[in-house]
Amino acid sequence: MKKYPWRKGFIINILSLVGFVLIWHAFVMLAREDIFNPPFMRLKDIPTPIETWMAFAGSLFTHTHGPGLTYGIVDHVLASLERVIEGGLIAFIVGVPMGIGVGYSKLLHDILNPIIEIVRNMPPMAWIPIAIFILVTGGSIFIVFIGVVFPIILNTIHGVKSTDLRLIDAAKTLGATETQIVTKVIIPSAYPSIIAGLRIGLGVGWMAIVAAEMVVRSPVGLGYFIWNMGDLGRYAEMVAGMIVIGIIGYIMNISILLLQKRFIKWAD
Amino acid sequence: MGRLILKNVSRRFNGFLALNKVNFEVENGEFVCLLGPSGCGKTTILRLAAGLDLPSDGEIFLDGKKIIGVNKECGFVFQEYALFPWRTVKENIEFGPEVKGIPREEWEVISKYYIDLVGLTGFENHYPHELSGGMKQRVGIARAYANKPKLLLMDEPFGALDAQTRNLMQGELLRIWETEHVSALFVTHSVDEAVYLADRVVVMSARPGTIKELFNVDILRPRIRTGLEANKIRDAILRSLGTEITRAAIHIDDKD
Repeated sequence: MKKYPWRKGFIINILSLVGFVLIWHAFVMLAREDIFNPPFMRLKDIPTPIETWMAFAGSLFTHTHGPGLTYGIVDHVLASLERVIEGGLIAFIVGVPMGIGVGYSKLLHDILNPIIEIVRNMPPMAWIPIAIFILVTGGSIFIVFIGVVFPIILNTIHGVKSTDLRLIDAAKTLGATETQIVTKVIIPSAYPSIIAGLRIGLGVGWMAIVAAEMVVRSPVGLGYFIWNMGDLGRYAEMVAGMIVIGIIGYIMNISILLLQKRFIKWAD
Repeated sequence: MGRLILKNVSRRFNGFLALNKVNFEVENGEFVCLLGPSGCGKTTILRLAAGLDLPSDGEIFLDGKKIIGVNKECGFVFQEYALFPWRTVKENIEFGPEVKGIPREEWEVISKYYIDLVGLTGFENHYPHELSGGMKQRVGIARAYANKPKLLLMDEPFGALDAQTRNLMQGELLRIWETEHVSALFVTHSVDEAVYLADRVVVMSARPGTIKELFNVDILRPRIRTGLEANKIRDAILRSLGTEITRAAIHIDDKD
């Protein structure tokens, strides 16, 4: 790739986003003016960027009306984030030790690998009926768990297996025991892979939570919000919710990358 | 302390004979260089002495104790440094004392001493990726020494360095070795390096690896690289090695 200064790259990023919004606006206006409006689609119903922004600003906060309560986007975001963090945390606590065990022990690998390989190919969405009908509570968290745990397990296994054998030899000659080799050599050298697994997993988990909330029908959560707004024909709010999902996923990804840079200084 | 004896040591890998009946000794406090063509089993000898690998036949003793598992009384210095990238210079050097359960206050004393000895004062908290090749190998040497080994095993430790750094590091190694006198077995490709460093040079032949000839280097240190005596020994070693290298080059073409 040809290189140029980051400032120029940043300006291009901004122009690209602005360009996208302008094209979006033009597209909707062309439909509304009947210049481009195919009969088999309802393109006129797509909100313009400005309408979307107004809807976003108008539904940010929770408000009460009489006995009723309408949750705002902020609360929907918090509810979804909470589920992703809880499911992600459980997945991390289960997945990292499992990945270390499977990566390190041939026996554990032979026992668990066939199960992991089959179960990881079942998409989180396929677990939704179980989440609804069998789990009394925490169905959405369970869906997130399924989405997050496999990327973590697989990346941890990879990290453990790619430990530099010379480092293990060095540790041996320096007097390390088998346990110390695991705790002081293999696990630290797997850190970058573990974090990468967490990053990929949370990405999957974030997508899974939105889908799960659509089906599980929790009263609050971004997935529920989008589905509900779609049902009510309030498309501007719906699109605003979609954009919020994208932006939050992006922020989560960047945050973990920054954490990784901050705490794993040694991996260049 | 620190006398290494190899008795009729052979090593086969999947039926292929890598070492055949190797016999030699590293005397207490002696600096021995192993020299030979690529693939002659020099590294295998080091790994056997470290107990990272076991011989198919024969026995190896360090101070009369037969080596049957990882030899925790040796310090291994690797060509590619093999430093723990997540540990700072200081933490790398403290690895040995730490895993051996020595109290933390003592590691500090040990690491400080060896950091000073190898000339890394001021770089204690640097990570390996922030260091040059020569500095990395200083850490490698300090880490091996911090474990108080009876025997230093070095596998082409300066092989990845440029010529000038290499010469400098050879001098540094001797300076450190003269302060902290332990037996040393040093593998190299370079006749110059062997003649500069060693009390004794062991020339090996290839496929299968055997000891071909031993040379004593009775020159007082510090040695002059281009001195008359050094040249004479270098000449003799090169002649001994020459036939082996030609022979090896015809038969093999490996990366080593």
